[in-house]
Amino acid sequence: MSVALPRASRRRFSGAGRPWVPYVFIAPFVALFLVFLVAPILVAVVNSLYSRQSSGLGFGGTEVEFIGLDNFARAIGDADFLAGFGRVALYGIVQVPVMMALAAALALLFDTALVRGRKFFQFAVFLPYAVPGVIAALLWGFLYQPSVSPLLQALRGIGIHADLLAPGTVLWSVANVSLWSYTGINMIILFAALQTVPREIYEAAKLDGASEFRIAVGVKLPMIAPAILLTTLSSIIGTLQLFNEPQVLQTVTANIASDWTPNMAIYAASTLGKNPNLASAMAVLLGLATLIVSVLVLRLSNRTTKRATDGL
Amino acid sequence: MEATKLTRPRWMRPASFAMAGALALVGLAGCSASGGDEGVTEIEFWGWVPGLEDLVDTWNEENPDVQVSFHRMTGDDGQKVEVAVDGGAGPDLVQLSTHNLPDYVIQERVVEITEWVADEEENYTPASWASVSFDGGVYGIPQGIGPAGMMYRADILEQHGLEIPTTWDEYLETARALHAANPDVYIANMSPSEIGQWVQEIQQAESSWYSIEGDAWKLGVNDEGSKLVAERWQTLLDEGLVTTEQMWTPEYWALVNNGTIATVSYAAWFPTILAENAAETSGLWKVAPLPVNEGSTNSGDSGGAAVIVLKNSEHPAEAAEFAAWLNGSDETQDTLITVGGLFPSTQNGLASEALLSESEFYGGQVVNEVFIESAENTPATWVEGPNFGTIQTAILDEFAKVVTGEQTFLEALDRAQAAGVADLESRGLSVVD
Repeated sequence: MSVALPRASRRRFSGAGRPWVPYVFIAPFVALFLVFLVAPILVAVVNSLYSRQSSGLGFGGTEVEFIGLDNFARAIGDADFLAGFGRVALYGIVQVPVMMALAAALALLFDTALVRGRKFFQFAVFLPYAVPGVIAALLWGFLYQPSVSPLLQALRGIGIHADLLAPGTVLWSVANVSLWSYTGINMIILFAALQTVPREIYEAAKLDGASEFRIAVGVKLPMIAPAILLTTLSSIIGTLQLFNEPQVLQTVTANIASDWTPNMAIYAASTLGKNPNLASAMAVLLGLATLIVSVLVLRLSNRTTKRATDGL
Repeated sequence: MEATKLTRPRWMRPASFAMAGALALVGLAGCSASGGDEGVTEIEFWGWVPGLEDLVDTWNEENPDVQVSFHRMTGDDGQKVEVAVDGGAGPDLVQLSTHNLPDYVIQERVVEITEWVADEEENYTPASWASVSFDGGVYGIPQGIGPAGMMYRADILEQHGLEIPTTWDEYLETARALHAANPDVYIANMSPSEIGQWVQEIQQAESSWYSIEGDAWKLGVNDEGSKLVAERWQTLLDEGLVTTEQMWTPEYWALVNNGTIATVSYAAWFPTILAENAAETSGLWKVAPLPVNEGSTNSGDSGGAAVIVLKNSEHPAEAAEFAAWLNGSDETQDTLITVGGLFPSTQNGLASEALLSESEFYGGQVVNEVFIESAENTPATWVEGPNFGTIQTAILDEFAKVVTGEQTFLEALDRAQAAGVADLESRGLSVVD
């Protein structure tokens, strides 16, 4: 019979007789997702409800006790931990818009025919992203120290005595490192998004008499709104998770405390304070805060993207 | 830089700038429990003292049945050890600041080794042996201590016709005279990030962060001795007589090299580091005893280290035997002192001629003569206790706000004390006021 062959091949393509086939294909993702994302979250949540308790002088051993939400209460009651959230919020409110504006401006500039040596300049802007964040912070750390910084020495030469690691300035010095590191990658994403916009739209606008600037602001930006919101969202999340740069700069200035950002506070609680249970509760709180901010930004972005594309 | 240390020793100091990169880049090195071929016991040992590789080789040649493998600790390896041990793995032996040993005992990460090493006690200084003994048990073999001395720029003092200050009152006078004579010169750098310099001076003042009352801990972060030291540095700070750079940074070494800082008070292991980082000032430095408090001959100590057997070791007896050999045998003392830069906590080490070699950097001075005397004058009042790390972090965070003028040292100490008490109580430990 000739029936068997077609059926077999149909099966191969449709998988109709083997309903488990799709699951096999997604199994690697699901396994990694469960092991490296869901499981750690569950472990953190469970850990946050317990505490390792000693008694007396502590030399009689420890017992793990269920303490409910006490760790959360302690974390929320820690003014310095909460101040860390305020600090990254202030940082984010300034650093993220500045970085996104810079990245968008550069992407639009590279998208015009006006720029010579585009490949070179794009590469130059992108290059800092290839430098690991820790190394970037080390580099800038040298540039922020008056006796070893050619930058500050040059400034002193013209009579300006800048202290970039003072309590009032250090936040912006950290922001500068992130700006230097991440503007490039955001520019590349926005530039790539611009390449997908049909050129006919620009021509139509030009025929209507729109200037390059008008096209950039009125056509290009709305067209790549989804990419802008994606990069903004990941930048905001990155801000909440701020750790590498301040942790490294902490080694050159005492004005970055051990709990300067929420992530640093978690690190300090678990490694320096040796209280992984409290650190778990703090991590859960940070995760929740990130979730809330992400949902808010996404909500907002969906609405504005819709409006922007509707307008075209 | 980590970490911050002969409370955390210098080579694993998270506060050391260049190490910050290593901290983030070094992956988790193998932390497997020991196992091995039949008949041969394998011991894994993590430590940071220079030259340990050679000593381990010597042991392995002499002891074919017990083979030790060595891992040099950098960056945050100390924290990795804790995680590994809590997770059921980790090396057999690790080097540890004795300030952190009580935590290891309380968290049950360390094996009591009394039965194998009790007869070693007589070779160790009483203070160092006490630092590894808790509740009648021995939990490690001491490896070096940190008696304090004062490194000073002899040329600068001489230039301004100033005597070497021997008391802290004279130190203040010298600071004033020096700064008045040359506003670009400061008597010292008050690093808000350096707990060891704080610890040595409060120990000199017979303060102790911990003491035991009955079955409870008592914290003394803001006790009388600490207040005395706090007022001293407050005066120096308020009168603008000290710089406040963070120690170990390029900026700090620049100030040391260009003659801005006239004295550095620190432990016996510091002279070697100073010589390495300020090579161009060779011959200008000398070492004098740490200035004393009025009416006292006390010196101070920033803390020592120990080699301890971790709980997941399958061969604690052999591991303890190796640790005892490494730190206490006659054949290892010279290497530990000359290559390792350790100030010995052993009687045979203190008797070693290697300790009394002249140092070119210090104009041919036998600098350890100062530190030997310092060790003899260190009061036995310091008690180690749980959660040194939390108090250390609290103090350093608060001190950062002191040098910027936001608060005073006394206020900083009160806050750190409160943070320490709250932390111990949250762990279920008994604390008395």
